[in-house]
Amino acid sequence: MVDTRPFLPVSSSDGSNPSEPLANGRKPMKALLSIFFGLLAVGLLAALLTSNNGSDFVTENEHDPLASSTTTTKSEPLRPLSRGPAAGVSEKSNRLFADENTVAFPWNNSMLSWQRTAFHFQPERNWMNDPNGPLFYKGWYHFFYQYNPHAPVWGDIVWGHAVSKDLIHWLHLPLAMVADHTYDKSGVWTGSATFLPDGKIVMLYTGSNAQAVQVQNLAYPADHSDPLLINWIKYSGNPVLVPPPGILSKDFRDPTTAWLTSEGKWRFAIGSKVNKTGVALVYDTKDFINYEKLDGFLRAVDGTGMWECVDFFPVSKTGENGLDTSVNTPDVKHVMKVSLDDDRHDYYTVGTYHEKNVTFVPDDLTIDVGIGLRYDYGVYYAAKTFYDQNKNRRVLWGWIGESDSEAADLQKGWASVQSIPRTVLLDKKTGTHLLQWPVQEIDSLRLNSYEFNHVSIQAGSVVPLEVGPATQLDIIAEFKIEKEALEKATGSNVTFSCSSSGGAKERGALGPFGLLVLADDSLSEQTPVYFYIAKGSDGNLKTFFCNDQSRSSVASDVNKQIYGSMVPVLKGENLSLRVLVDHSIIESFAHGGRTVITSRVYPTRAIYGAAKLFLFNNATEAGVSASLKIWQMNSAFIRPYPNLDNKSR
Amino acid sequence: MKNTFSLALLQLSFCFTFFALTHISALELHGHGASLIETTCQRTPFYNLCVSTLRSDPRSSGADVAGLARIGADKLKAKATATLRQITALLKVTKDPNLTTALRECVDYYNAIVKYDIPEAVEAVVKGDPKFGVEGATDAANEADACGRGFKNQPRFPIYDSNKVVHDLSAVVASIVQLLL
Repeated sequence: MVDTRPFLPVSSSDGSNPSEPLANGRKPMKALLSIFFGLLAVGLLAALLTSNNGSDFVTENEHDPLASSTTTTKSEPLRPLSRGPAAGVSEKSNRLFADENTVAFPWNNSMLSWQRTAFHFQPERNWMNDPNGPLFYKGWYHFFYQYNPHAPVWGDIVWGHAVSKDLIHWLHLPLAMVADHTYDKSGVWTGSATFLPDGKIVMLYTGSNAQAVQVQNLAYPADHSDPLLINWIKYSGNPVLVPPPGILSKDFRDPTTAWLTSEGKWRFAIGSKVNKTGVALVYDTKDFINYEKLDGFLRAVDGTGMWECVDFFPVSKTGENGLDTSVNTPDVKHVMKVSLDDDRHDYYTVGTYHEKNVTFVPDDLTIDVGIGLRYDYGVYYAAKTFYDQNKNRRVLWGWIGESDSEAADLQKGWASVQSIPRTVLLDKKTGTHLLQWPVQEIDSLRLNSYEFNHVSIQAGSVVPLEVGPATQLDIIAEFKIEKEALEKATGSNVTFSCSSSGGAKERGALGPFGLLVLADDSLSEQTPVYFYIAKGSDGNLKTFFCNDQSRSSVASDVNKQIYGSMVPVLKGENLSLRVLVDHSIIESFAHGGRTVITSRVYPTRAIYGAAKLFLFNNATEAGVSASLKIWQMNSAFIRPYPNLDNKSR
Repeated sequence: MKNTFSLALLQLSFCFTFFALTHISALELHGHGASLIETTCQRTPFYNLCVSTLRSDPRSSGADVAGLARIGADKLKAKATATLRQITALLKVTKDPNLTTALRECVDYYNAIVKYDIPEAVEAVVKGDPKFGVEGATDAANEADACGRGFKNQPRFPIYDSNKVVHDLSAVVASIVQLLL
C-alpha cells in the first residue's frame, strides 16, 4: 500500500507534529487552518508591537525631519529657555525670561557702556572665566585668567595676564600662554602656581590636547629676573600627567597649588568624578616632572558630580594672618573648596587634613564638600586662593559671569568680571564659617565720604540718602532693630529662604530692611540688599541676608532671581553690612563677610546720574535705625601696561 | 492535493511567525543603539524631533551621549545656516517695512547662533567642558525665540517653521549636553 503519511522536508518542520494519521481529509484541514490563523495572529501581534519604535520617523514628516513647510500661519509662541540648565531640568541657575510674552529689551550703547565696571578686573574686551595661577613676585601681584581672544563667549581659551602693585590698579600684559603645542592645542585651561624653596615658580595647568584629552602640563617663567614674568616656557616633556585608570579623559582638570609633606615631597589635588561622585585625586612629586598617584581620594562625596577648580589650604584657628599652603601645625584647620559643574556654585568645608593617610575629614558631615556652605550666594564660580607672602594673607579670587542675555554680551563686546580680591580667614566666633573681606587696598579708591548716624526708618518707609552719584560706592552700614519688636513678634514654623520668598516687597514682622541700590527716583528700578529676620515657633531668631534682582531692571531679558542665605548673628552683634557698588556689579558682605552675595544688575534707567541710593524698611512691626558711612569710589584705571616692547594684543 | 495545500499553509504560517520573531530579535540586536537615542531623547523637551533628527544621521547608531550631542549640534548648525539664508533671501524681495525690520533683527540673531552659539556648544562637547555647551545651545534657543518675538504684531511670519525647528532643536541639544555634566 502507498504510505499516506506525509514526509515533511527538514526545513519546515519546527517542532510541529506531522505524524497525525490522516483518517479523514476534513479534520486536519480545520486543524491546519486554525494553526495557520493562530500563528498569523501571533505574527500580526508581534509586528504591531514592534512597529511603534520605528515609524515615528516616517509618520512625523514625510521627508527630512528638519524640513519646514511654507505655511505662513502662526501657532503657539515658542517657549523661552533659561540660560542655565535646559528646560525640563532643575532651573537652579539663571532664569532669563519671566514669561513668553516679554520682549528682548532694546539695549542702546549708552546703557551697555554704562555696564562696564570702574574698579573690578576685566580685560578690554571679549570673554573671561576662571582665575589662574595668582601670585606675588618681585613687587608685583600677578593675575592670569581664562580668556577667549576672539569672542564674548567661551572658546579658544588661552591665558590672559595682568599685574598690579596693590591688587586694585591692574595693567594688562601680553597673553602668557597660548594653545601652541599638541598637549594644549584644544585649550590652555586652568592651573595653579607653586613657589619652590629657592623662590622659583612652577605652574601646573590643564591642557586640552589635540585629541581633546585633558592632561596636566608644567610651565615656568622664561626669565626669573623679569618681575613682569612676561614670557613663559612649557616643559619639553609635557604632558606630565594624563588621566589615570578609572578616570575619563574629560574629567581631569584644574590642579591645585602644591603643598609640602613632612617627607619633603610636593603634594597636590585635582578634581574629577566617578559616575556621579565628585572626587579629589592626589599626587606626590619631587620635581614636578615625575608623579606618584596616591591611592584613594582626598575626599569623595556622592551625588555632587564633577569637581572643578579644587582648592585646599590651611587657615589659622587663632591668628589673624593667612598661612602658606604647606603649613600643617596643630593650631590649623584645613579648608577644602570645590566648584560644582552641576550647579555652577562654589562650596567650602572646614575640616582636618590627615597627612599620613591622605584624607580630609570635615568637621560637620552635614556640610561636607559640595553640599555645605558657599563662598558666595550670588554669581561666583571657579574661585581660587593664593598665599600672599607680601602681606601674610590668603587672598581669594572669583569669576563673576554675566546675568544678562548673550545677545547683549555680543552687542557690548565683552563678558565677565572678577570679584575684588578678598582676604580669607576662619571666623573664630562661629568656627564654621570663613570670613571674606575686600582687600584693604581698595580703601585707596575712596574719595569723598558721607556719614549718616542713627537714621530712623519706620516700618513701611523709604529714606533717600544724598550721596551724589550712586554708581561707584563703598557703603559700610550698621542696623539696629527695635528690641521690643523682636520680643513681641509671634513666631511661626514657616521656613524662610531668600530665593523662594517674594523678595523685598514681601513684608514680614521683622523684615525686610536694608538698602535700595542702583534705584531711580521713582523706584521703578531698584536692587534691594537687605536683612530679613524670621522668628521660629520656639522663639529663636534667624537672620537672612538677601539680594533681590526682581525689580533691578525694567528689561526682562536679565536675571531676576533673589539670592541669599542665612547669616549667623551672635549675641551682642549688630547687623552690619558692606556693599561695593560698581556699575553692573554689586558685592555685598554681611557681618564682616560671614555671608557674601555678588550679583550682576543691568538697569536701564537707574544709570549714570539717575542712579540713587535709599534706605528702606518694609517690616510691618519693627522700626529700624541705621548708621552708615558711604564713599564715592574712584576708577582703578585698568589699562594696558604702558610702553611695553613686545605688546602682542 | 489537499495535503500539499495544508502543507503549504503550515509552512506559510511558520514562515510568518519566524519572520515576526526575527523582526523582534533584530530590533533587540540593534536595541542598544536605538534605545540610547530613545532614552536620551526622553530627557529632552521635544522627543519626536530629537529621535528623528538623530536617526537621520548614520553616525547615531554607534554613538555615545557625547556623540549624540555632537550630531545634534551639527544638525542644528545646518538648519540655522539654512534659515539664515532663507532670511536673507526674503529680505531681498520684501517690500513691507515692518517685515523688513523684523527680518533684519533675525539676521543678527542668526549670525549670533551660527557664529558664536553653535561653535561654543560644539567646542564644549568635543573638549569636555559641557556647562558651556549647555549655555551655547540655550543661547541659540533664546536667539531664535527673540527672532520670533519680532513678528508678534505682524500679520505674517514667513520663517515661523524654520525658526521653530531651530529653537526646539537648540533646546534638545542643550538637554543632551546637560547629561554630560
